[in-house]
Amino acid sequence: MLHKIKFIIPFVALLAMSCKKFLDINTDPNNPVAVEVSKLLPTTQRTLGDALSMDEQNGGLSEILAVYTHQMSTREEADKYGITGVDVNIQTAWSKLFSSSANPGTGFPVYGVLQNLEDIIAKSTAAGNFRYAGIAKILKAYTYSVAVDVFGDLPYTEANKLKEGILYPKFDDDAAIYESLFALINAGIADLSNPAVNPQVPGADDLIYGGNVTRWVKAANTLKLKMYTQIRKVKNVSAEVNALISGGNLISQTSESFLLPYGPNGATDDRNPGFYTYFATQRSNHVSPWFYEILKGYNTRIFTGNPDPRIKYYIYNQVNATQNPREGNQTEYRDGAFVSIYFGSVGPDRDRSQQNTISLLGIYPVGGKYDDGSATVANANSGTGAAPYRFITYADRLYLEAELISTGVITGDAKTKLTQAMAESFKQVDYVIANYVRPAQNVPALVGLAAVATYTSNVLAEYDAASAEKKLEIIMTQKWLSSVGSAVDQYTDIRRTGYPLVFDPSNPSMAPGGRVQPPINGDPVNPGNQKSVPVQVSRTFALALPWFQTELESNPNAPAQKNPSIYKVFWMP
Amino acid sequence: MFGQNRTVTGKVTNAEGRPVPFATVTVKGTPNAVSADENGNFSIQAPANAVLVFSSTGYQSSEMNIGNQTTVNTTLSGQAALTEVVVTALGIRRTDRGLGYSVSKVNPDNLLQKSEPDVLKSLQGKVAGVDIRSSQGTPGAATRIQIRGNNSFFGNSEPLIVVDGIPYSNDQITTTSQVSNGGAYTSGISNLDPNDIASINVLKGSSAAALYGSRASNGVIIITTKSGSARRAKGTEITFKSSFSGETIANLPEYQNEYGAGSQLAYSNANGSWGPAFATLDSIPAWPTLKAAYPELFPSANVDYRAYPDNVKDLFRKGFVYENSLNVSGGDEKSSVGVTASHLFHKGYVYNSDLERANLALGASTKLDIGINVSGNFSYTRANQEGGFFGENQVGGTASSFARSLFLARNWDMNLPFEDKNGLPLQPNVTGYDNPRWSARYNTINTNEERLIAGAHFDFSIKKWVRFDYTIGSNVARIDRREKTEIGSRAASGLGKLVLDNYRKQELESNFLVTLTPDISKDLTLKVLVGNNFNQRTITNATQTGNQFITKGVYTLGNTAQQQFTNDFYSRHRILGVFGDVTLGYKNYAFLNGTLRNDWSSTLPVENRSYLYPSVSASLIVTDALKIKSNLLDYAKLRAGWAKVGRDAPPYSLNDVYTINPGFLGIPSATLPSTANSSTLKPEFTTEIELGTQLSFAKRRVELDFTWYNRKSTNLIAIITTPPSSGYLAQVTNFGGIRNRGMEIDLMVRPIRGKNFSWDVHGIFTRNENTVTELTSGVDRIQMAGIIAGINPYLEPGKPFGYLRGTVSARDAEGNLLIDPVTGWMITADDEQMVGDPTPDFKLGITNNLRYKGLSLNVLWDWTQGGDIYSVTVNTLLGRGVTKDTREREAAWIIPGVYGDPNNPGQPLLVGGKTVTNHTVVSTNDLYFSAGGPSGSYGINSATEWAVYDATVFHLREVTLAYDLPKTLLKNLPFKGVTLSFSGRNLWHLAPNMPKYTNFDPEVNSFGSTAVQGIELSAAPTTRRFGFNINVSF
Repeated sequence: MLHKIKFIIPFVALLAMSCKKFLDINTDPNNPVAVEVSKLLPTTQRTLGDALSMDEQNGGLSEILAVYTHQMSTREEADKYGITGVDVNIQTAWSKLFSSSANPGTGFPVYGVLQNLEDIIAKSTAAGNFRYAGIAKILKAYTYSVAVDVFGDLPYTEANKLKEGILYPKFDDDAAIYESLFALINAGIADLSNPAVNPQVPGADDLIYGGNVTRWVKAANTLKLKMYTQIRKVKNVSAEVNALISGGNLISQTSESFLLPYGPNGATDDRNPGFYTYFATQRSNHVSPWFYEILKGYNTRIFTGNPDPRIKYYIYNQVNATQNPREGNQTEYRDGAFVSIYFGSVGPDRDRSQQNTISLLGIYPVGGKYDDGSATVANANSGTGAAPYRFITYADRLYLEAELISTGVITGDAKTKLTQAMAESFKQVDYVIANYVRPAQNVPALVGLAAVATYTSNVLAEYDAASAEKKLEIIMTQKWLSSVGSAVDQYTDIRRTGYPLVFDPSNPSMAPGGRVQPPINGDPVNPGNQKSVPVQVSRTFALALPWFQTELESNPNAPAQKNPSIYKVFWMP
Repeated sequence: MFGQNRTVTGKVTNAEGRPVPFATVTVKGTPNAVSADENGNFSIQAPANAVLVFSSTGYQSSEMNIGNQTTVNTTLSGQAALTEVVVTALGIRRTDRGLGYSVSKVNPDNLLQKSEPDVLKSLQGKVAGVDIRSSQGTPGAATRIQIRGNNSFFGNSEPLIVVDGIPYSNDQITTTSQVSNGGAYTSGISNLDPNDIASINVLKGSSAAALYGSRASNGVIIITTKSGSARRAKGTEITFKSSFSGETIANLPEYQNEYGAGSQLAYSNANGSWGPAFATLDSIPAWPTLKAAYPELFPSANVDYRAYPDNVKDLFRKGFVYENSLNVSGGDEKSSVGVTASHLFHKGYVYNSDLERANLALGASTKLDIGINVSGNFSYTRANQEGGFFGENQVGGTASSFARSLFLARNWDMNLPFEDKNGLPLQPNVTGYDNPRWSARYNTINTNEERLIAGAHFDFSIKKWVRFDYTIGSNVARIDRREKTEIGSRAASGLGKLVLDNYRKQELESNFLVTLTPDISKDLTLKVLVGNNFNQRTITNATQTGNQFITKGVYTLGNTAQQQFTNDFYSRHRILGVFGDVTLGYKNYAFLNGTLRNDWSSTLPVENRSYLYPSVSASLIVTDALKIKSNLLDYAKLRAGWAKVGRDAPPYSLNDVYTINPGFLGIPSATLPSTANSSTLKPEFTTEIELGTQLSFAKRRVELDFTWYNRKSTNLIAIITTPPSSGYLAQVTNFGGIRNRGMEIDLMVRPIRGKNFSWDVHGIFTRNENTVTELTSGVDRIQMAGIIAGINPYLEPGKPFGYLRGTVSARDAEGNLLIDPVTGWMITADDEQMVGDPTPDFKLGITNNLRYKGLSLNVLWDWTQGGDIYSVTVNTLLGRGVTKDTREREAAWIIPGVYGDPNNPGQPLLVGGKTVTNHTVVSTNDLYFSAGGPSGSYGINSATEWAVYDATVFHLREVTLAYDLPKTLLKNLPFKGVTLSFSGRNLWHLAPNMPKYTNFDPEVNSFGSTAVQGIELSAAPTTRRFGFNINVSF
């Protein structure tokens, strides 16, 4: 009966036959093995913006640093300088800067800056696409410079080399990294200026400058100016900065600012991560009363009685001056329509739900709502969210020069630079709103407002009357006001110069007896009776951010975690 | 010759009236032989006055002249039970005495009609060596089963489930992360119809499984269905089963009803019940949101300030489980057919959570005239699960339906409207969560599953000692899921969201087997198997997300303003294997078995794709070998086994690829991935040593089965965390090792064995130590999964698998807690540490079975000792001050410890070189709700270690009272048998180390059947059920 089962035999033979071909099915059909560098460049630029931004949802450095620079306040870990190496903002920023990471929450991949930049540099250099290589080198230098500013020592020479067999990069000295970054920037400029015909040149895929080589060179030079300014206390940089300024190839108009544009929530969600607070399920970003009071002219040390006309562009109030809190809860800090909490607060009202009562960052920093007094609850439709993240603006360049003059590094008229810088700061607000945010609501231009002229002349009068030290404080405080929303350089400036002064709950002149008094008549629910708030701070001001704990734990060549209260980045004397 | 034959049917039973399964029935002097089914029923062709020979391993053969009878029942004597036939790999039946490894057999009767529709859950406490954990208490939620621990760092460590010879995927398809907003997803096995199960055999060790190849290193569960194993049986049999059980939430916390919302004994419209005592305040301002939406409901500016003691209880309903099943089998001397049709409807205690499942299975077999046996089976399942969103509500952009359900402020009246006049959610305080009633109505996850199984089997013996078997089958599972978040939810930016997930997995399995059983000599037996196996798995998965509903109430992608292709994935995986299995027996008391298998896998590099692995095992029946005749020791068997199993990689792990991103500002882009692949992967191997014994005493009054095993997996294919500065977050590579070492005890004691009255006690004990033995040099530990900052499972050499690591409070060198002198709270240490081990120390199940005539009472207790759980539910119950645990409000507290330096956690503050004892007072409120930042207390915003609890728990798992109607009563009725039963499930639990009034049952878990255990993020509590069941056979 054997012949009757013959039919089984071919079947089995079929299965065993051509075993090799049969098993060669392991090529991933879902993803490409190679892509053009034009597909990688936008990834790196966007991720760089995200990593530095005020990203309440996924984490970003400004989310912490805006609290440390006292423009924002929060009940989260950043309050009282409590950030540790496991903080989600550190995790996200560190992972995004070095490597691609899965974005928690959305399930979408979020993309590595440096790893992709290295890929661009290698591929475009090999293919003679020097513009791509130049842009990538400048972006790499910028990325490392801010990372060093924030973290200090970092993996540099051995970083991003897993495929070359280096799993555990050593940490390089921060000063040495900085030094080599200048060379890297120069190499980038040289690539951009390479006259060879590039087979491929960047265009719309360069989200920052649309492939404009001239602007990239200006950004590169301005980056050098910023970096030299930052190290001026540990090195004489007069020659370098004089050369840069006299070279005339710096960012020199609003449209040349080095920034990452964001867009609206259209076919894809392209909004500035800082806009998240408008639709956050639990809003944790409060505008700091310290920042607010300086804007209002309440601060008794600086710009006293000189209200800043940008306040409606910076801060959006969800309630009006007489309205009860929407949650029915007692507020901690209220000044009419403005509602917030203090840094370091341990007051009984700090943790009360004020989701739809607190004030939010406004149209300029995050693409939110211009405060037209409508006092409506913020939501996803309150604004476009299309505000850019500003790396280095033209205004920043002018403030840098004012600082350099004011501190004697270069010669010149600091007041003129300050005047130009302030004028540019106002212009920049109008420019960003008109060209990027493109709101549905009608927003008046700042430039030309009488209030702007008054404010500016008052600041300059205060400047004229000030001591040399106070003059620097005024310059740095104006820079701090101008750079709302981009907190990374603010943090560096405060650590470098000591300015602006920030709120210190343990300073008896700022919080006498450990208490701080909100405007006594600020609360319409309790007129004449707004309670003072107990404040504390257990940790002292953080001189650097802790390294990402997982980096330390997974890298045998990493140092032990730093103590952020005493760790100094090399440019601090 | 056939013409003279008649069909003779009957049943083979043992001395106690229990069926002898798979007994061999032969017509003496002819080759005509059949095998009885698992219930001892047989059907054979025999002429009149033939002599039938009944034999079964372990019984004395008996002969009977059938005369003119066509129904022959016979009783075999001998040592039953201990010498049962079990189904092993590839469906091969072996006598238990010849096995050198542990196999547990489960009688499906022990699983059915127990008020538990989930097959795996109903196995809880019944099989030694098997760890079964439930997840959420909602219908259809996945159950995790594991045999002898985790063997894989990140991959699936669940056993291979084989149904009628075809692997049955038990995948849990996770559409949305269960950390943030996922549902209580099902796992594949919930599609299986328990009513169709004929037998379950659990192969625990690697040696049992060597023939199944790679995936069997986690153990194998072999399920035979009634329809799929249709065999010639006597006449026609119809069985109808029906069960109805009522369901309630098993445990609600004991709430305090003295204090309402607020903080520090002052009223505010807060989530926490830390406000003033109800006795001290008459009224509070009307809820601003509710008043704005329904001014007519609040004529006064104020509402009463009073407790609503049942506000949590009233969020839930009474659920039920209703199940009906019809099983028909029939046939003649050559052919048979079986059909099972079942329907289940399970309505959960949470509104809008239910599961409906319909199964239809058909099987048939026949013997062709040319001598080939052919059988085929086909089954279709359709299941529809409805449920809500879970997860950690604190993760941005999420809305857990259980966000506040168990933690409602004690003065919230949840019977007020849950939506405004525009249908947007309303809750007493502004936001932070969606009203659970609103969530239940609008935010739902619907999962529609279909499964098609088709299989065919051919067997043929050319000679008496040469047999061919061929099995081919396909198992296709499809999932069609819709996750809906309605406009107005706190999730999805308040704009609404729809996620569609389509998943399809097809598994194709083909096995060709040649069995040789030559006669060698009287004392020696030899059985040789050689075979070929082919397995192919194909997955397609497409997930699409639509954001921003254009209009409410229509849940289609077309009704969304923004769409994304979240996932579009295809993978195929093939394995070819050849294997051999040789068993040598000596005098039916000594056996030696060896297996060898070589696999070729498509997922490994060409040079490493072929890998070979062997096993050997031996058994010795000591009592027979030494001819021990003792009244005390009836039977003693020793067994030993060693096995090695190889395993391949997931598809597409070899080459680096780029990932295409969704566009940004209209510009397309791509990125390097975060995980580096490796082109040099090698297969990983698990080796296991197993030793065991089976003993029977005093004529089977006491039976013991003991197993010890030590299993090591090395060079695992897994992703290792790399420092981000390397450019990648992880790399696929071969590294590390895992050890599972443990013991399994199965003890049966029969104190009373009367004809009318009997009492059995069956105990099972499982202990498994699951340790990571090594990672790779220079790496201290790696995170197993990213859950949330401050609590994640980790892998670390020398530590338990997947131990929980999180933030801890700083202590000084003497172990004193360091207290922040300013706040009076504990300073949080900079470094995270081990805060728990989710693996229990042991599990124990004890079943008492009392039988009096037709009445039987079955009671199952189980006990899980140890294992830790991070519980958001408990932490939040305490932190929100809602249970009686935090009732003592007027007291002041000092956390024991010494003052520390908050700038330098770990350093005490010294005064004159000495530590200073903490004397900073905190309130009860502060004790359980701290502000966050660098220090914390015991509840919300505390260091993780304070939210981790010992999960020891005792359950009164199952009580069944059944009554078999006496035959005399049925005489004039068309029934063969009628059984009525009452069943109860999860009637009581005690978790002695959980805060007393939380009543928390640590059995819940937020991560379903995934490897993450011991983390609970506001999961739905377990259920309690009472049921009535009827089982009628015709």
